[in-house]
Amino acid sequence: MSKKVLVVDDDPDVRTFIVTVLEENNFTPIVAQDGVEGLQKIEEENPDLVTLDVLMPRGSGIRLYRKLKTDPSLKNIPVIMLTGITLKSFLRSQKTLSEFQGEKVPVPDFYLEKPVEPEELIDAINESLKG
Amino acid sequence: MAINKILIIDDEKDIVKFLSMSLKIDGYETVTAYNGKQGIEVFKKEQPDIVLTDIKMPEMDGLEVLRQIKMIDPETEVILITGHGDIDSTIAALQRGASDFINKPVKDEALAIALKRAEAKIYMRRQLEQYTCNLEDKITEATHEIKRKSNFQKLLIRSSNDGIAATDSDWKFVICNPEAEKIFGCKFSDIVNKIDIETLYPSDIAKSFKKAAKEDKDENLDWKETTFPSKDGNSIPIRFSGRILYKNEKMIGSVAFFQDLTDIKKLETELVQSEKMAAVGQTVSGLAHYVKNILVGLKGGSYVVDVGIKKNNTDKLIAGWDTIKKNIARVSDLVQDLISYSKEREPDYQICLPNDIIIEVVDLVKDVAKKNNIKITTKLDPAIKETSMDPQTIHRSLLNLITNAMDACLDDIDTDKNFGISIKTYLGANNIFCIEVEDNGSGMNDETQGKLFTSFFSTKGGKGTGLGLLLTKKLIEEHRGTINAKTNLGMGTIFTIELPYKETETELKELTKEDLS
Repeated sequence: MSKKVLVVDDDPDVRTFIVTVLEENNFTPIVAQDGVEGLQKIEEENPDLVTLDVLMPRGSGIRLYRKLKTDPSLKNIPVIMLTGITLKSFLRSQKTLSEFQGEKVPVPDFYLEKPVEPEELIDAINESLKG
Repeated sequence: MAINKILIIDDEKDIVKFLSMSLKIDGYETVTAYNGKQGIEVFKKEQPDIVLTDIKMPEMDGLEVLRQIKMIDPETEVILITGHGDIDSTIAALQRGASDFINKPVKDEALAIALKRAEAKIYMRRQLEQYTCNLEDKITEATHEIKRKSNFQKLLIRSSNDGIAATDSDWKFVICNPEAEKIFGCKFSDIVNKIDIETLYPSDIAKSFKKAAKEDKDENLDWKETTFPSKDGNSIPIRFSGRILYKNEKMIGSVAFFQDLTDIKKLETELVQSEKMAAVGQTVSGLAHYVKNILVGLKGGSYVVDVGIKKNNTDKLIAGWDTIKKNIARVSDLVQDLISYSKEREPDYQICLPNDIIIEVVDLVKDVAKKNNIKITTKLDPAIKETSMDPQTIHRSLLNLITNAMDACLDDIDTDKNFGISIKTYLGANNIFCIEVEDNGSGMNDETQGKLFTSFFSTKGGKGTGLGLLLTKKLIEEHRGTINAKTNLGMGTIFTIELPYKETETELKELTKEDLS
């Protein structure tokens, strides 16, 4: 059975693109347009992997990532960050939040900066699902 | 210096001995001589302070002794010892400078009084001498000090960075330092006592001096920026101040200070230039970022189209083509924005109802707002009537502000708020039409607020060109208006646009009145 991948991104163009890439590589895509909807879909659909944008209007990727990595029932779902912001800024914001909330989260397995090539994404997904 | 050496001259040795003894008892040092000639020799050798001499002596009498002593040292006090019948000689002696006389037989009290007087005279003279001496020293010292100070001030004036020029009460130049010579373009020697300020100074400077003198103004003139025409026909940017000088409430002259601003102005221009360059740099990097995002969209879209073609999947074709079209639209928006920003545009004034334009814009955005759970409310002042404005300016500016306000709500980390945007219009003082756009979104920190209108700056990542507010400001300013923002981090932001307002009707009425008269 093909693996379920949840695509969380506020940009419909990005969703269309990633969904197509996933379908072309025999994954089953599900979409969510913000962090709030993302969490809801994770709970409903129980995906095998999540690709996550950082800058989204409601419930940012930074928060959703923390939520996923600190929830015992969710923290084993692999997350691939797929975003326009640099890894450096992402890590800085995570560090600030870690200090603030007194809880550390692991660095994401894959951090892909847009624009992403289809092969690059598929490689990252395959690599993550192996582990 | 104590007075204690006394010379006693008398041909009667017993008297000399007696006097010497009695004076020694009183604490004086005495030297003696038994005739006039000997007396002069002893005087030269011993230099006594006081001389006691008999008048009547053989060969050289007391008068001659007095004369010679006074020649040697006019300040010696000479007391004469006189007998009966010496009245004439006594008078002559007093006329020649004897200080006192005592009668024979010499009585102790009389001698004591005569000596006291002589001592007092000597003491006073010495005091006077010392005082005079001191006075001379003090004058020399003071003269030095004055010279030093005046040299220092001269040096100060000469080497001052400011041009300094002073005039007498007839406004003729008496002082002009090298810096002032540079600004005036002439040598001090060419203008000293020759020409007055009206010939040399630009009229505005000359006028402010004469005005200050007329008003008896005893304080510095305010620093003012103006220009000084230079010899080569250019003008030197300067700052100047000055003061009317008074002595006993009478005007005795004027002094002016000039600062050459050429270098400062040059630096200012360079600064503006470098800020512009920095802005261009930011624009380029902002643009590159934005263009990159468009490319991401185009690439993604073409991938989806490729898949659609390969699989003969119409849905994919439509979706991919949509993405491509959307991104083509983004490119065209960007180009539009860039063109409008770089182009000077005259507002296209038309008779319109500003409140109607606002309703139009709100209509345009209300669906998006509703989708995002943002409530838009309006409070439009019905007193605003038809007026001549550029509807495009109002439309574009307001659309931009409302879009920003919605983004501020969506960007807020506090997602539990009841987000709302309220748009208000009203007439302010002095015929000003105001539009207020208030949101309760994220607000801005100081850094963001500082960059609002100044540079190509966006907090929206790839979604904004960083040109929106800059364009709005440009449109409003071309319309002779202003735009301001008040913000509170976490609480929201209020943007206020102010535009000149004139009711069309009154304008027409005035026109008619003019036509009639």
